[in-house]
Amino acid sequence: MTLSLSSLPAAEADPPESASPSGAGTSAEPKDQSDQSAAFPYISAESLDLVELLRNAHHPGAGAVVLFSGEVRDNNRGRDVACLEYESYGPLASKMIRDILQEAKEKWNLQIVLAQHRIGKVAIGDTAVVVITASAHRSEAYAANRHIIDRIKHEAPIWKCEYYTDGTHEWGNNCNCHSITGDNAKHIYETAPGPSATSSGYPGPSAPPNQSY
Amino acid sequence: MILKQFNSLNMKVHVYAALKEYFTPEFELAEPIRNTDELKVCLLAINATAGEILKTCRFAVEDGFIDNDFKLKEHDTVIIVPPSSGG
Repeated sequence: MTLSLSSLPAAEADPPESASPSGAGTSAEPKDQSDQSAAFPYISAESLDLVELLRNAHHPGAGAVVLFSGEVRDNNRGRDVACLEYESYGPLASKMIRDILQEAKEKWNLQIVLAQHRIGKVAIGDTAVVVITASAHRSEAYAANRHIIDRIKHEAPIWKCEYYTDGTHEWGNNCNCHSITGDNAKHIYETAPGPSATSSGYPGPSAPPNQSY
Repeated sequence: MILKQFNSLNMKVHVYAALKEYFTPEFELAEPIRNTDELKVCLLAINATAGEILKTCRFAVEDGFIDNDFKLKEHDTVIIVPPSSGG
């Protein structure tokens, strides 16, 4: 599910950073984005609270907020899925997600960036991973969000096990980039790197290179 | 090669995801291992069928990936990281 919230055109016209927030659901003060982990751990064994995350994703300088929710579906490759179970190497996964978010924040001038990934069993329809990006204009918020989820999926040491309705299970859907790049540390992302012009004429920042962890 | 008694001086190895079908999730190695190439040899001696999956794995110590140039110490805890499948 991808949900994008965009303010009215007037509000998207570069409001000053010091503008007072207005409207329901807008946070009173911009959050310190140096590290979200105190409030929202990067890796969570608990259900992800999208409403609470989104409540913390508003910023007076952001005219666009994009929320991506990766959710568990009931089928994969022709098999009926009962649920997924995720595990991770927490210390490294948290550090990598933090670094990915920080890098994206700088590259796309994001006001807010948040991400969380579930571990443990996740039911059909529940959120396994969430990424929220907030920026002055929608183009940066969309591009950064897509890049962040790509990198988390390819790089962070998080793994899923599919449990099927027939009682079997299988670890799978691994990143297979190494078969193309020849390097377990190099990945190919769905998002094309590089600057992009938007329909509104906004030139967009240079996208980060195809970095590897 | 694998000690049943945990010893703080032994190298500890943690594996995740599909690797748990080849190795126990956590085990120790008594013999000295100096780098990841030697660790791979040791792992294949434990389970020779793990060759293909080990080719796709990376290695980490604490919160950073390492390569074969990293000098492993006997009390290190080495994490074997198969390809990611998050999201």
